[in-house]
Amino acid sequence: MRQIMYLQAINEALNEEMKRDDKVFIIGESVQGSAFNTTAGLVQKYGVDRVMDTPIAESGIAGAAVGAAMAGYRPVADLMFADFMYCCADEVFLKAAMWHFMHAKKVNVPLVFKACIGGYARLSNEHSRCPSAMVMHHPGLKLVQPSTPYDAKGLMKTAIRDDNPVCFFYHKMLLPLTGDVPEEEYTIPFGVAEVKKEGTDVTVVATSFQVHQVLAVAAELEGRISVEVIDPRTLEPLDMETILKSVEKTGRVVIVDEDTERCGVGAEIGMQIVEKAFDLLDAPPKRVCSGNMPIPGASLEQYCLPSAQKIKAAIESLMD
Amino acid sequence: MKLEKEDLLKLYRNLARARVLDQLAIKMLSEGKFMGFYHSAFGGEAPGVGGTTFLRQDDYIYPHHRGHGIPHACGKGGDLQPFFAEHCGKATGTTKGMTGFHGCDPEHGMYGGGGTIGSAFPLSVGWALAAKKNGRGQVSVCFFGDGSMGRGTFHEAMNMAANWKLPVVWVCENNGMGQYVPIKDAYPLDDIANMASAYGIPGVVVDGQDVVAVAEAVVAAVERAREGKGPSLIECKCLRFRSHAEGIPDWYHAEKRSEEEVKELMKRCPVALYRNRLLEQGLLTQEDAERIDRELAEEAAEIERQCDEAPFPDPSVLENAVYA
Repeated sequence: MRQIMYLQAINEALNEEMKRDDKVFIIGESVQGSAFNTTAGLVQKYGVDRVMDTPIAESGIAGAAVGAAMAGYRPVADLMFADFMYCCADEVFLKAAMWHFMHAKKVNVPLVFKACIGGYARLSNEHSRCPSAMVMHHPGLKLVQPSTPYDAKGLMKTAIRDDNPVCFFYHKMLLPLTGDVPEEEYTIPFGVAEVKKEGTDVTVVATSFQVHQVLAVAAELEGRISVEVIDPRTLEPLDMETILKSVEKTGRVVIVDEDTERCGVGAEIGMQIVEKAFDLLDAPPKRVCSGNMPIPGASLEQYCLPSAQKIKAAIESLMD
Repeated sequence: MKLEKEDLLKLYRNLARARVLDQLAIKMLSEGKFMGFYHSAFGGEAPGVGGTTFLRQDDYIYPHHRGHGIPHACGKGGDLQPFFAEHCGKATGTTKGMTGFHGCDPEHGMYGGGGTIGSAFPLSVGWALAAKKNGRGQVSVCFFGDGSMGRGTFHEAMNMAANWKLPVVWVCENNGMGQYVPIKDAYPLDDIANMASAYGIPGVVVDGQDVVAVAEAVVAAVERAREGKGPSLIECKCLRFRSHAEGIPDWYHAEKRSEEEVKELMKRCPVALYRNRLLEQGLLTQEDAERIDRELAEEAAEIERQCDEAPFPDPSVLENAVYA
């Protein structure tokens, strides 16, 4: 099977969906040239009316996407860095997420908010955040966090076809990652987690870039501790069934997510496991997340974000 | 578009209706039938009515909170009864009881309402984008108060729309008050229309108590937009006769607006001014005026009766309501 990069997989998904449905258009800052090359080459194919470069105006971009979506279009609003979503919080969280409910299902908001997340590039607090928990927290927003090129392409296609607003968060460290991606068209449904590695001793639920950190640790522990790695792929809708099935097998679970620990993704998944599978647990759930602080840059970043060391320690601590 | 006699009379009827229904809303809130709050448009009905009466059904509008969309819907079309039912929390309301006050009538180009002032600006850009892509000559008309021009969203939207020559018309209903803050203490210049030149678009000031002046200015701007010549900003200098929201004192900073001052403002009642003008011009007779008053009173009574009789929504409507 051919191997392509994660960023290329996203590009292919956008291209295919724009070709398939002329209601799809991209709007955002520097999307024609493409800040991360995920939208490169598209303006040449589809023109400036479907790949729209805007001024720096997140509220304008996000709000225009919401309006156009309500009026029957399917915009992909490219916010570049997920950190910039704070600039358009009203448009994302109150309007896009909630107007369908508020207006008794009389309006739909079929759009995608596309943005890169995550650290390890040492870009400091306002270019490194993963606002995953905040998105999960607001009812009405779907949340996609692919960890592989295959997942990225299939999930982006589904995101564009969904009649609801979807946050598509792709990790900046995964952009050059290559992986198997079929030539033939395919989509991946939301709410279906993938067991990225089977195991019997400990369940590790990992998101986005953390999937790869966890797989590396699992390989190191092979022979001593058998780790099962689950990638939810979408945090909303969240496939708890697959997670609980694994917990039933192992009785031990660690959640590894890069968003801030307090009230984070680990808090939500961990609590759901306790609520639904208390009797299946041999130990309390653990979480490895970013520290409860803004994300430092440069050489200090590594002490805040999840590390292989912290992941390994958490898994080992469950085996005592 | 030149306004003919039937257009002028249509304007009058819409204006008189907006007045009657605004008064009905005040009454129903005070009687405890409305479940939330109400921001009366008393004295300021003309911009909403004048700005919508000559739009197409498929034009998009955002009616802002003053009057909760009543003057705007009176001009734009559609059934007003569900607006009242919504305020009563009934299942027959515009949002089936889900919000208790937002209007939503997509068939008449009103996609909904929000609670954060100034959030309409980018949405209106989105509707204008859709209008441009649809290629049918639709326009997006965004009504807003002086209170919202301070939001950053105003700048972003004005800039994007002007830059792309989108078919949007910005109609400012400047009644001099942003809740309890007078516009003179919120913006350094006298005219919000000054904002237009920063984006290279036309900006005009009209007498917002004169429904015909508003209509003519909006019609001209709409024609410009339909022809692909881009946005315009129309500032209607209008008035607010009551407090910001019903049941709250009429604050002006930390003082109350004086009753004498308000009485003086009420000499420029837009309905009385227009009715008298039409009577003088012989376009309306006293009998016509009284007949219209009677019909509107009947409509108001019927709206209230239907509100009283409609059921509340069953809580089961909350299931599966989050996603399409």
